[in-house]
Amino acid sequence: MKLITAIIKPFKLDDVKEALTAFGITGMTVSEASGFGRQGGHTEVYRGAEYTVDLIPKIRLEVLVDGSEADKVIDVIVKAASTGAIGDGKVWSSPVDNIVRVRTGERGTDAI
Amino acid sequence: MGTRERRDRSNKFDHELRVLFSNCANEHLQKPTSLCLTAVGGYGRGELAPGSDLDILILHDGFESQGAISNFVNSFLYPLWDRGISIDHSIRTRSQTREIARSDIRVGLGLLDIRFIAGNEDLHSDVSSDAIESWHKGRDGFLPQLRKSIQEREARFGELAFLLEPDLKEARGGLRDINAIRAIEKSGVVTVSLARLAESEALLSNVRDVLHGDKKRARDQLLLTEQDRIAKIMSFKDADELMGEIAKAARAVDYLMDLTWHRIESAKKGWFNKSKSEQIGKGLIVLNSEVTIEKNYEISSDPGIGFRAAATAAQRGLPLAIDACILLAENFTPLPNPWPKSVLDDLVSLIGAGNSMIRVFEALDQEGLVEKWIPEWSHIRFLPQRNVLHRHTVDRHMLETAVRAAALTRTVKRPDILLVAALFHDIGKGYPKRDHSEYGEELMKPLAERLGFSKVDTEQIALLVREHLLLSAVATRRDLDDPATLNFVIRKIGDPELLQLLHSLSISDGEATGHAAWSDWKAKLVSNLVEKCLSVMAGVKPVSQPDLIPSGELSAEIEVTIAKSSENTDGLEISIIARDQSGLLSAVAGVMTISRLNVRSAKTRTTNNIAMMRWQVEPDANTEVPSVEKLVALIEKVLSGESDLASKIEERINNHRNYPGIPTPPPLVIAANDLATNATIIEVRMHDRPGILYSVTRAISRFGVDIKSAIVSTLGAEAFDTLYVTDFAGEPLSSERAQLLATKVENILITHL
Repeated sequence: MKLITAIIKPFKLDDVKEALTAFGITGMTVSEASGFGRQGGHTEVYRGAEYTVDLIPKIRLEVLVDGSEADKVIDVIVKAASTGAIGDGKVWSSPVDNIVRVRTGERGTDAI
Repeated sequence: MGTRERRDRSNKFDHELRVLFSNCANEHLQKPTSLCLTAVGGYGRGELAPGSDLDILILHDGFESQGAISNFVNSFLYPLWDRGISIDHSIRTRSQTREIARSDIRVGLGLLDIRFIAGNEDLHSDVSSDAIESWHKGRDGFLPQLRKSIQEREARFGELAFLLEPDLKEARGGLRDINAIRAIEKSGVVTVSLARLAESEALLSNVRDVLHGDKKRARDQLLLTEQDRIAKIMSFKDADELMGEIAKAARAVDYLMDLTWHRIESAKKGWFNKSKSEQIGKGLIVLNSEVTIEKNYEISSDPGIGFRAAATAAQRGLPLAIDACILLAENFTPLPNPWPKSVLDDLVSLIGAGNSMIRVFEALDQEGLVEKWIPEWSHIRFLPQRNVLHRHTVDRHMLETAVRAAALTRTVKRPDILLVAALFHDIGKGYPKRDHSEYGEELMKPLAERLGFSKVDTEQIALLVREHLLLSAVATRRDLDDPATLNFVIRKIGDPELLQLLHSLSISDGEATGHAAWSDWKAKLVSNLVEKCLSVMAGVKPVSQPDLIPSGELSAEIEVTIAKSSENTDGLEISIIARDQSGLLSAVAGVMTISRLNVRSAKTRTTNNIAMMRWQVEPDANTEVPSVEKLVALIEKVLSGESDLASKIEERINNHRNYPGIPTPPPLVIAANDLATNATIIEVRMHDRPGILYSVTRAISRFGVDIKSAIVSTLGAEAFDTLYVTDFAGEPLSSERAQLLATKVENILITHL
């Protein structure tokens, strides 16, 4: 089992959600996040004053999937979130020991 | 449902308890007259909701033994408990009751409503008069406690009028507050018009009855799922109408509560007894630390007095007296179309006052004045929003937005436009077939023109109303790195100043809506979008220098003419032509201040060593306008150093400080070099008060630079001065020097606030 985490541009959320639903993923967690990568924030000059925008608003999306599907899901997210420009974000996966569905107590892949 | 049913329910229990009480007393007591059964709290008032507890107090005179009383109580209460009736009971002697009422405010409050049911009537009347007496005597201790408990309750339950799922009893403006106001009235510290509460109480109690239904121990929270059912039973058109009526009732309670505390505070300060009054404007006085209208003032001949009173109260952080509002409503005089400029100015100062505006606006609204002045307001008045993002009814949401906008006036060039757009941005709501932004634009155009805005300004305000959701929608849904996104926004909002207005409006709207709609995260996305658009638009155009050119030669060193203003009804236009000299502008500005001529706007320009000035001023109420000779003499005296202007102005500023005042954003001074005019621009933004221009120009002259021209304006309560300065050689300042000057001026304004 894998946890897939994606940091994407906010306006791409709907596209990614749609692509994941089409792929058969039914649940995900979405949160508002801020950060920067190689894009490194940016500086704007406006009327003599300099504004430093160091943390850029992003969306953080998390999905739990079966290990065998992880690579395909990553591809789906990357394809849907890509604009080709700097700051498109990142997707990574990490191993998950166990999952429990709180309501039923189901464990492991059954709980995905 | 209804008062009669609640009475009947209470009477029915009275009857049952009376029979039971007398049977048990005869059976278990040696002297049945040593006990008395009384009702307290809501039951004491003789009104019982279906799910309410019976609060009873059994009084005894200490004659019976502990055992006898306990036998009596068991035989009295068990049959009731067995039937599932919920009873809150206590058993006390008179002195025990007195003791506990003194230490526990809730017991004290409950005892104010004590009512005799059965037994020894003397015991009841003793305890009842004790309760009133102790409440009277202990009020200095009780009232602060009561206020604290009300505040804690509000923090926990919120405001009834604006919540989607309010608690009818506990929320602010609810049934418990009505009882609190009644208790305050009984303390005798102030008089409160309880008649105003009756309608609210009846409605809230009726809704609660229906909500309780036949359930025992029902909850008082009105959930969304219940609202349709209750609206139907109570024959309202729909749940919106029900919630609108509840909001109206709660607001009336809320308003009276605010007013009551305000009167208590004034009474404490002793102003109430002295009834000291002070004139603060034409037809306006401060009495009992409320702004009100002078006795015998001809209201019908002065249609602008309503907004003048409101603006004056809000800007001083004082409430507007309820009597003044009633007087205004009774002698209502419609405003001409378009409104005079001074009335629009007052409207803007009212909205721009921030938090203190809400109380004043509510006072006007309670008397139906807002609707009379602005008929468009009727449709959104108390209009609920059944939408998870919102917390407030539409009208309150717009007021809250205006309060937030008042904190942002310094970020835009036209605070008046921002404030008016904020106050009306959702005016198109409540027409199900129309998009509220588009319809809002349609309503806004004639409204803004009626308020007295120019054609150009009207277009801008209407555009802001139409596009008030644009920035947040684009920022979250479109690619900010795509030039097409920026072009999309720029095509709609072509002008950088307008974009900044829209940005401030979006922030105010978002903050007022609540956490569900607005977060730091979203604010950042929106400001990223705005910054990117601004950098594409490349810079902001400064105001151009005034076009004043002196004609011919000077006939005297200083020439002054005074005429009636063409812009303001009560205003004057003062033109001055003089040979330029260092400190001239600050001398003239200072003379205006000490002559009690309030500067609304001014333009000055110096060419070939001759200074031309055109001032629009408004004399203080009851101030005699100085003659031309007097003004010239004063200016000459100041220039020659004979008159000590600084200390006189200081005195004026100090007088101005005597009021509670309102929190305002700090002054802002920006320096920028303008290549087109070959001068350095110093822009000053701050909350209006006497003597700003004097302080600013004096600081600039002392810095050793020339003031070439100046444009001074007052938008509502916001002063906005633009000064063009050069060094003595006529060149713009270096950017370091310009920055230093700006900092210096800003520091002077901050320390002299």
